[in-house]
Amino acid sequence: MKRIFDYIGRLLGISFIPTLSTEELQHLFKTKYRCFRELLTANNNALEAMAELETALRDGRTFSMSFIRSKSTMVTVNIFKMIQNLRKMADGGYVNLEKSFGRIQEQIDAIIDKEITEIEGDWFIPINRVNRSQVEQTGEKMANLGEAGTLFGINIPPGFAVTSSASRLFYLENNLYPGINRIFQQTDPHDIEDMHKKSEEVQQLIINSPLPKELERQLYKQFDQLLEMTDADIKVAVRSSALGEDLGRASFAGLYHTELNVDRDQLILAYKTVLASKYSTRAMTYRLTKGYRHEDIVMCAGCLVMVNATISGICYSRSIGGRIGTLDIFFAHGSAKGIVDGTKTTNHYTLEQNVPHRIVEKLRDPNDPHPPLTDEQAVALAEISMKLEHHFGSPQDIEWSIDPAGKIYVLQSRPISVHLFNAETNGNMIFQDDRLILQGGVSGCNGAGSGPVFIVRTNADMNQFPKKAVLVVEHPLPEWAPLLKRAAALVAETGSEAGHLATISREFGLPALLSLDQATQTLINGETVTVDATNRAVYRGCIDELLEQNDKRPNPMDGSPVQQILIDVLKLITPLNLTDPASPYFRAALCETMHDLTRFCHEKSVIEMFGFGKRYHFDEGAAKRLVDNMPLEWWVINLADGFSPDFDSTSRFINVTEVISTPMIAIWQGMHAYTWEGPPSVSIRGMGAIFFQSTMNPGLEPAVASAMTTKNYFLVSRNYCNLSVRLGYHYAMIEAFISSLRTERYVTFRFKGGAADESRRVGRIELLAEILSRFDFRVELTGDALNARVEKRAQNFLFGRLKVLGYLIIHTRQIDMVMADPQQYQRYRTKFIQEIEEMLSND
Amino acid sequence: MTNGRPFKLEAALKIHLLMVDDEPDFKEIIQKRLSRMGIQLSLADCCVAALETLESQPVDVIIMDVSMPGIDGIQCLKKVKEQWPQIEVIILTGHASVKSGIEGMQGGAFDYCLKPIDVLELLEKVELAAQKALVNKENAKA
Repeated sequence: MKRIFDYIGRLLGISFIPTLSTEELQHLFKTKYRCFRELLTANNNALEAMAELETALRDGRTFSMSFIRSKSTMVTVNIFKMIQNLRKMADGGYVNLEKSFGRIQEQIDAIIDKEITEIEGDWFIPINRVNRSQVEQTGEKMANLGEAGTLFGINIPPGFAVTSSASRLFYLENNLYPGINRIFQQTDPHDIEDMHKKSEEVQQLIINSPLPKELERQLYKQFDQLLEMTDADIKVAVRSSALGEDLGRASFAGLYHTELNVDRDQLILAYKTVLASKYSTRAMTYRLTKGYRHEDIVMCAGCLVMVNATISGICYSRSIGGRIGTLDIFFAHGSAKGIVDGTKTTNHYTLEQNVPHRIVEKLRDPNDPHPPLTDEQAVALAEISMKLEHHFGSPQDIEWSIDPAGKIYVLQSRPISVHLFNAETNGNMIFQDDRLILQGGVSGCNGAGSGPVFIVRTNADMNQFPKKAVLVVEHPLPEWAPLLKRAAALVAETGSEAGHLATISREFGLPALLSLDQATQTLINGETVTVDATNRAVYRGCIDELLEQNDKRPNPMDGSPVQQILIDVLKLITPLNLTDPASPYFRAALCETMHDLTRFCHEKSVIEMFGFGKRYHFDEGAAKRLVDNMPLEWWVINLADGFSPDFDSTSRFINVTEVISTPMIAIWQGMHAYTWEGPPSVSIRGMGAIFFQSTMNPGLEPAVASAMTTKNYFLVSRNYCNLSVRLGYHYAMIEAFISSLRTERYVTFRFKGGAADESRRVGRIELLAEILSRFDFRVELTGDALNARVEKRAQNFLFGRLKVLGYLIIHTRQIDMVMADPQQYQRYRTKFIQEIEEMLSND
Repeated sequence: MTNGRPFKLEAALKIHLLMVDDEPDFKEIIQKRLSRMGIQLSLADCCVAALETLESQPVDVIIMDVSMPGIDGIQCLKKVKEQWPQIEVIILTGHASVKSGIEGMQGGAFDYCLKPIDVLELLEKVELAAQKALVNKENAKA
């Protein structure tokens, strides 16, 4: 009785207390039990959010910052709840938990809310004074172009960069960020129609905002200075140059706006249009897919004098079609716009990378009436390409124009984001039968894809585009980019490997067949086809044989800033350091991750709850021994409403029929569904190994003597059951909460140890893991410890899972002795699966 | 998150719920769904209106948006908890942030829900909050 008074004394904060009535004590118990339940629910929710974060990273799914934010918040909020509830249960104890929690939470906040450092500087820099070191001010493209211009023999057009300081000023003066954030917080990034609408709204907001007066004045001044330097009648191209892109990994090809032929009157509008294009649907979906945060991208611009181009094109300083030792030149009459937009048919020359840059192949468009590139020009372009590759240290994708005087201008140079795709087998494997619909074209990205045809001509069509359909378009315009992530393949009537959409399809590993004549006329909406880009053909139906050639699609988020944030956040969330509750290091102050905190709180909550029962409600006679014929002792402790009201509480024994805890009944049914066939017959060596381990393993002392005879406890309420089992040398725990509320429901299983050496123990754990996964558990393995969970499912389904656990607890006893024998392993595996399936089918 | 499986509302049917949010469309949707389930529900546009409601009638559970004009949800939560500690509050927020979530919980919120709302998830949280609010009520009597 003294202990009861001690406890209540602690609770009320006085040292001497009068006897409390039974009602009052029951009431205290109720309060504690409620905390316990809330803690369990929070534990369940925290673990689920952790699993979602881990799965997103492991499966290479596309995830956004808001996903990371919301799931991390779910984890922290629920752990906060666990701590609060545990501290309530423990009468204000575990003070250090809050310190550990605060420390970890702050670290997570710092990673998630990290802001980019802003550099203040000039609003404008003449392009001939720009180099790579100014990337923070000028953005990637202008920094690269300025740097290229410093090289001997490379011409770039005159012009100036409009810096990040200028665009920041514009945003701040107009207070644009809060408005933009508000609009996007209410946007579903996976709904293209919604994205189009919101993107339009934000772009209008930017375009309608006035440029700060002084900035406007100086922008005109820069333009006028260009006039003085050059002809009186110049026009400029206003080009985007975003800061925060990592062009080595992501091309950002064609995502932003370029305004060509801009005169003085159109200058301000053109600049704002370029700034606004940061929020185009295609730019935003691309960033989402590739793992870039919108807030990390700052738009800068470049105003470059227009080159009066007679011929323009793209060079790849290393052939992207799989050829070794060559480079590619794509070109067409006039400006390069038609090539990168994929609207022009292009000519394609291949040259050797080494001097004297011998021309290996010329693919001319027979319908192009214009004079082609001369051999001298081709060689000069090859020289420029190799010079840029050497200077920048990686293969380059170079945009260029030639003026009427024959002078070559470099307009852009950026790393090739996807170096190679193997075009070796091009056209080698064609099924010449009635399945063949179309043949020819060029491969923009190798591989094969199958799905129903969906022809896209307008934005409205985009909104209807179904997942895994074959995207068929006339021109491979960059504006179709948002569909690439959900398409099975891309087919276009025009375009080349050098187009922006082709570049992006390679980044996503999407099979792309371009320049395929008559595609929009021949292919019929809804008809299932197989597009074989590698061999340049389209077939009726789905041809699995062709799909087999595909490599695994690359994860577009690999190496991205958002992926890195998730990796860093997960380091503070998921690792479990506190694994052993018996260890002296199992302490609140030593929790290093959110997972440690959940583990600690959960462990201690069970002790607090159980402790209460011991202290009062179930003192001495509290545990009731189950009447059963198994050679093991099973005891039941009623936490609340787990026994039938008719049960005589003075009795020392209880029949299972008097238990009304639904999870416990399910476990019990699983335990008794089949008779245990007894321990396996073991070779002397196998038995020897067990004994040897028993004497060697200090973790088993002094438990060895008592372990065989330990009582096993069920802690129950109507909806809850916690079963701790020490069967022989291993430890297992089943815990379940199955109420009418789906969010609360869960079943977990922990298993650890065993007397056999590592390989045998792991053998059994692997068998358990395999069977549990087969029956829908989420399984986590660390060494010889196993954690399995399933939650938020229908009640009957979860009762079924409890039966599986009950079955396994009984039938996997002592089998580690034979786990090293593959035949025995297989025999047990087959038997277990068969019996479990039979047991579940009887439900 | 949800799979449309029905569950039993018990405690939620015995309580009076107040919803505080400045977005009329959102409020209307939630009101329709909750009323259809048989939950007794009042509405308020802002913190001041919410406090007025609390003065005039008993409320057990509040659903409250964090971002509201005037007094924001976190401040409002604190005011409510100061005067009516037995009321359970579920915080809603459109923009997840670890900080705001914890602030809400530290301010004594029962739970935290992200917009866009999964109605089934919200209902389950309401049921749990209602269960707790009923216990609070009993305790207050005792």
